[in-house]
Amino acid sequence: MVSDAHQTVDAVWKLESAKIIGGLARMVHDVGLAEELAQDALVAALEQWPQSGVPDNPGAWLMTTAKRRAVDHIRRAQRLEEKKQQLAQERPVQTDQDDILRLMFISCHPILPTQARVALTLRLVGGLTAAEIGRAFLVAEPVVTQRIAVAKRTLAEEQVPFELPDGAELAERLSSVLEVIYLIFNEGYSATSGDDLVRPGLVMEALRLGRLLADLSPHEPEAHGLVALMEIQASRTAARTGPSGEPVRLHEQNRGRWDQLLIRRGFTAMLRAREISATRIGGPGPYVLQAAIAVMHAQARTAADTDWAQIAALYELLVRLVPTAIVRLNQAVAVGMARGPAEGLALADALLTDPALRDYHLLPGVRADLLVRLERYGEARLEFERAATLTHNEAERAFLRRRAAELVAEPEHPAPRPPGPEASDRASGRVFGEAAQGFLARADLDPATVRSYGQTMRALTRGLGEHLPLAQLTPDLVTRVFTTAWPTAAPATWNRHRAAVRSFADWAGLGDLTTGLARRTQPPATTAHLDPATLDRIWNLPATPREHALWRLLHESAAPVSTILRLNVEDLDLEDRRARAGEDRVTWRSGAARLLPALVADRTAGPVFLAERRPGPGRTPAPGDLCPHTGRGRLSYERAEYLFKQATKALDPEGFTLRMLRPRGRV
Amino acid sequence: MRYLMTTMASDTAPDEKLFTEMAKFVEELSAAGVLLATGGLEPGGVRIASAGDEITVTDGPFAEAKEAVAGFALIEVRTKEEAIELGRRFRKIVGDGESVIQQVFGP
Repeated sequence: MVSDAHQTVDAVWKLESAKIIGGLARMVHDVGLAEELAQDALVAALEQWPQSGVPDNPGAWLMTTAKRRAVDHIRRAQRLEEKKQQLAQERPVQTDQDDILRLMFISCHPILPTQARVALTLRLVGGLTAAEIGRAFLVAEPVVTQRIAVAKRTLAEEQVPFELPDGAELAERLSSVLEVIYLIFNEGYSATSGDDLVRPGLVMEALRLGRLLADLSPHEPEAHGLVALMEIQASRTAARTGPSGEPVRLHEQNRGRWDQLLIRRGFTAMLRAREISATRIGGPGPYVLQAAIAVMHAQARTAADTDWAQIAALYELLVRLVPTAIVRLNQAVAVGMARGPAEGLALADALLTDPALRDYHLLPGVRADLLVRLERYGEARLEFERAATLTHNEAERAFLRRRAAELVAEPEHPAPRPPGPEASDRASGRVFGEAAQGFLARADLDPATVRSYGQTMRALTRGLGEHLPLAQLTPDLVTRVFTTAWPTAAPATWNRHRAAVRSFADWAGLGDLTTGLARRTQPPATTAHLDPATLDRIWNLPATPREHALWRLLHESAAPVSTILRLNVEDLDLEDRRARAGEDRVTWRSGAARLLPALVADRTAGPVFLAERRPGPGRTPAPGDLCPHTGRGRLSYERAEYLFKQATKALDPEGFTLRMLRPRGRV
Repeated sequence: MRYLMTTMASDTAPDEKLFTEMAKFVEELSAAGVLLATGGLEPGGVRIASAGDEITVTDGPFAEAKEAVAGFALIEVRTKEEAIELGRRFRKIVGDGESVIQQVFGP
């Protein structure tokens, strides 16, 4: 019975928590606190219900208990009078529904990193536990707990008001909510990691959130558009995996297995979006457009019935709003179906130099399909091979290899340049992959060179496919790989790869392959800078006091990283917020001034920023780089950079570099 | 998980209050994204039976009206407990009688 009661409490909680937390947040003006108070009520229920039985109206019981605790809290905070007035003044128009909507907006506040928005939304609006969220996203529970705690602290510190945004802000905030919901959906629908292709729990959670949002903001066409898109995509869940778990592509799916109930719900949502759009100025938004495309597919009884002309037209509109590489690739497919493979291929070819698609197997996959239809079988085969190399899914790789094998090789084109007699032996009839291996296996290369050349050759193999006949390797192809693989490489890296290709071409007797590649002398791009909102988030990242002091100092002094790391305790003038580092003078402001004294503590000499450990045996740093107090060495640039990169991965998938901390206009 | 809740016909005649409360409940569940489809069923209906190659079609009403399903709700929830909790709320509104909750597999 006890566990029964627990399960009932859990079920009631999941159904009611958003309403309760939203209501409390309106009272205490702090989402984090509201959630804690609601949790207290949940704990009370867990204690009492197994004995007293589940109350008649469990949701109301939780709400009353939680509100009582909120009043207690306010009383404790000795602001009773003030709050009583506020409670009395509460406008009756603010309903439960508004509370939930406010909760959604605050959970998806742009001030928070995306992952935190996702976790907070599932937690506060969906009522999921940290363990459940962790399981769904394949991360450890403490990571989720930490993310949620940091997010709540950020919201409190920034004093983000618990209010509905209006005017121009509303559009931006709404799009953040839509984005978070669609992200949850996609994580469930096309799982990016893990063994399962679909995680139905997240799909359902996202659908629920989307339907809820659409009901709460009934006049927003994009909310209904998102619901329509998700319902229709979810309708294909059963049909999109084959018996052994392999993905089944849209045009090969058994349409009889599509869930007609969800399709119909999608159509209804789409109709509503259209009705609202009709009364508005301006065209449909990205979710309505994507939903419209999904509707076109859902309406086609067979793949052959698909109205590709209409879909291509919709993609044209979508590309204008969302010009991402993936959308443009989908457009290429649609155009290829609507107006013939040549036009589709032209669009796909334009994407070959897009770094975003560098390792994306669908680009060569799409090109291969179009090339087959153009009867350019030789090129198609190479593209299928390249796609097979790039995909991470075993079933898909086997499928692509099969497609490649089905195509009979075309007779090879004549070599563009007549090679010398000995070199022609090496080049004739060989494919790039083999040649690259032969090149790297030469006896006269030292290991370091082999390693360096190996990187270049691997990138070329990924970009060109190992089966590309050597005779077809042109400077244009090499240029394409370089611009996609190393678009932002430092000059030294770029020139190293370039030298490797020159050496390879020379060895294979292929003539100059680097005619399209200039040697680089200038940095290709100036260092990016971090905007104030990102900096604020960095200041709130979980990290040691040393890191925080270093980051603040780098930002406030605008000094080079190496200069700051070279600082010694005896160089510091904490009182006047300045230091002398050799020839350079460094000054800082209040942020670093607050953190530095604790870092220095009672040290009187030695490096300001110390490594975590003493240097190992055989690594004796110069005496000036050792702390006379602890025997630890000076923090290295590499280590500091690594730690910063790791810490900021919470904010950006790539992480940031220390140089980016320097304020704009100071580099 | 999807659950189908079917409700048997009862003797009590629905009054105005029941209709209002029911409408509110349905609205709330649809808004929460839980209720996928719902509806009431005509009493009786048509019965189709097969035995061997033979199909027999019989018009209602039928004798055992008490066991006949009078309404249904298709809901999408995370757990069986959530389904039961919603069923509990529903029963509280409609008064004496019986409903059955069954998980739906497929499509």
